[in-house]
Amino acid sequence: MNLYVLSFGFGLITASILAIASVGFTLQFGVTNILNLAYGDVMTGCAFIAYLVTRAGGSLAEALLAGAASGALASYGLNRFVYTPFVRRGTRMFGMIIVTISVSLVLQNGLQGIFKATFFSLALPRPSSYTFAGMIFTSQQFVIIALAVVAMLFVHALLSWTKLGRAMRATAADPELARSCGIATDRVIDVAWLLSGALCGTAGVALALNVTSFTSTAGGQFLIPIIAAAVLGGVGHPYGAMVGAVVIGLSAELSAAVIPPSYKEVVAFLILIVVLLIRPQGIFAEVATQKEVVA
Amino acid sequence: MSEQMLSKLRKSTRLALACGLTAGVLAMTGGAPVSAAPSTIVIGNFNPFSGADASFGPEMVAGCQPAIRLINAGGGVLGHQFSCVEFDTRGDPADAVPAANKMIATNSSLGGILGPSADEALATVPILEQAKVPMFADTGQAFFDKSSYHYFWRITPADDVKGYALALWAKKAGFTRAAAIFGNDAGSQSDVPTLLKAWKKLGGKMVDNVKLALDQSSYRTEIEQMLASKPQVIFTEIDPQTAGTFLSELQQLHGLIPVLGTEITLQAPWLKAVTGAIGKQAMTKYITGMQPYAPTAGASWTTFNTALLASKSQVPQPSQWSSDPYTMTYYDGVVTMALAMLSAHSIDRGKYNKSIMAVTEPGAGKTIVHSFAQGKAALAKGEKIQFVGAGGSIAFDKWHNSSGAFEAAVQVKGNVKIVGEVTANQIAALTK
Repeated sequence: MNLYVLSFGFGLITASILAIASVGFTLQFGVTNILNLAYGDVMTGCAFIAYLVTRAGGSLAEALLAGAASGALASYGLNRFVYTPFVRRGTRMFGMIIVTISVSLVLQNGLQGIFKATFFSLALPRPSSYTFAGMIFTSQQFVIIALAVVAMLFVHALLSWTKLGRAMRATAADPELARSCGIATDRVIDVAWLLSGALCGTAGVALALNVTSFTSTAGGQFLIPIIAAAVLGGVGHPYGAMVGAVVIGLSAELSAAVIPPSYKEVVAFLILIVVLLIRPQGIFAEVATQKEVVA
Repeated sequence: MSEQMLSKLRKSTRLALACGLTAGVLAMTGGAPVSAAPSTIVIGNFNPFSGADASFGPEMVAGCQPAIRLINAGGGVLGHQFSCVEFDTRGDPADAVPAANKMIATNSSLGGILGPSADEALATVPILEQAKVPMFADTGQAFFDKSSYHYFWRITPADDVKGYALALWAKKAGFTRAAAIFGNDAGSQSDVPTLLKAWKKLGGKMVDNVKLALDQSSYRTEIEQMLASKPQVIFTEIDPQTAGTFLSELQQLHGLIPVLGTEITLQAPWLKAVTGAIGKQAMTKYITGMQPYAPTAGASWTTFNTALLASKSQVPQPSQWSSDPYTMTYYDGVVTMALAMLSAHSIDRGKYNKSIMAVTEPGAGKTIVHSFAQGKAALAKGEKIQFVGAGGSIAFDKWHNSSGAFEAAVQVKGNVKIVGEVTANQIAALTK
């Protein structure tokens, strides 16, 4: 089979996980302007929840649901009980980044303290492999790709056709104006974090499924490509994050077919730098805006 | 003189008398509390306990704790008890350097350390050397093969020696075409040059040589490229998470081929990560590890293992470390330091460091001892000793390195089973 076709297929899997993760990440930033660097660790926490579910005999579907639910609750709780109090006390963007880094360290070390410094795998049966259009996928990878497609369609439908989606876009664009127009921005922000948290949890389970063995640092290590995908597409723009995820995911795998694989991450970030040099706001954002955190 | 001045004079006189009496009492007692307890000697466990290499730390503790258990049960050293204290380097020189400085500055009773690992050795060994801290390092970096550090001791084989062992075993097993899949970290890459050299010398062909970026979410493209070159066996040293991902993807895409790894392949975290990824049957059938020859038999090992299993409250699931050669070398390092202190009649680091070689090297008329208690008893009688550790004989060369034979092992039903050996002579023949 042609190596490039195979690599394209492999890249789709990475891009799918990145898409679910980066859309969630960018939603959080888009609505509240909080660069949540604990995002990867929440993903890891949800992977551990999925692990416990599968160890108790749960199926993949149950593990994904549990991961999404725990991600939603964790993210909602983080925003409401940790981040929002800081913002209301006047902590500005840079300060909030430090807060999220602290939360990340607490989560990572907390998970390591509970689960110890060892490795875990979801207790699911080994999947079969299938060949499709010259590419090889397992049944679980088909599920991941399907999940990514469904999640993106859901986000698109929500933002385009629902009142809530319009309210989220309004809050993201100008929270003060949105408030004066009667939009309950507090509630919108809560829903945004619940939704983005669900995506975060789903991505965490998908990542655990893909890497097969994971530990308490797995999500944290995946955070950089997530941010890269979000920034490439234009931070705060879900469609941009989707495109960014595809670019980063595909370029990483395809480059490994051409250059030494130890540089595959470098290629993805080189693309990011080149795009940002030409369009500093990212692919989809109209203009680079400077705004403060929202609570 | 006014009443006020007289009162002040009486007060100052009383104060002076009180100070004088106190000074007198202190002078008589030597300025120390009457019943002073000797300080506890701290053995620093200087390794990653968090971060990507967090699995190194517990492996070290599993060696230190049984050693101090036996030392303290044997009455300690010169009236001092021992304790193991963890100092987390986080596997990063940027964190390890401040950790080393803090460890030295805040522990006046620091007797010696286990570590550093390859993650932080280059940055911290000079600091430890300057502070005269004897260190039983677990770094395999070739840089230390011929270094001039007086306080640096290594009883784990250098990484470059592992390359020879891998090549010899693969040749013995009848393979001729191999792929080298090593992590792009310094520790793993230091195995590669000698592996390539030895494999070529033995007539083998290295059909692919990949520097793998660690902890990626996918290696499928790398796997397809490797398989296109048709290797019969994979030589490898990659961390547990990377190994789990790589091998499960290899299994999914095309099925596994024989894998021959370094000692990391036989350590509990790697075994856990990869068994979870590919299953127990595949582990036994396809994965072989080469580790320093450390037979789980003999008086020294039995003493170590009994103490290890008794250390359940400090070492979770202690039996997982019973056959771990690194854990054995950590145990041997602590016991060696303790015996060296006894031999030198001093816990002063600068003084006892010179005795480390004396208590381990063979020699005519020496009493061979297999435990701290035996060593202490022999030294008390004025005998010269050779300590043979749980990991076997320790024979330091002039650069303070001691390495020996290697054993090939597989994982069978949760236990490591030795399947063969590569002797020190065979390795020596390749290094000429």
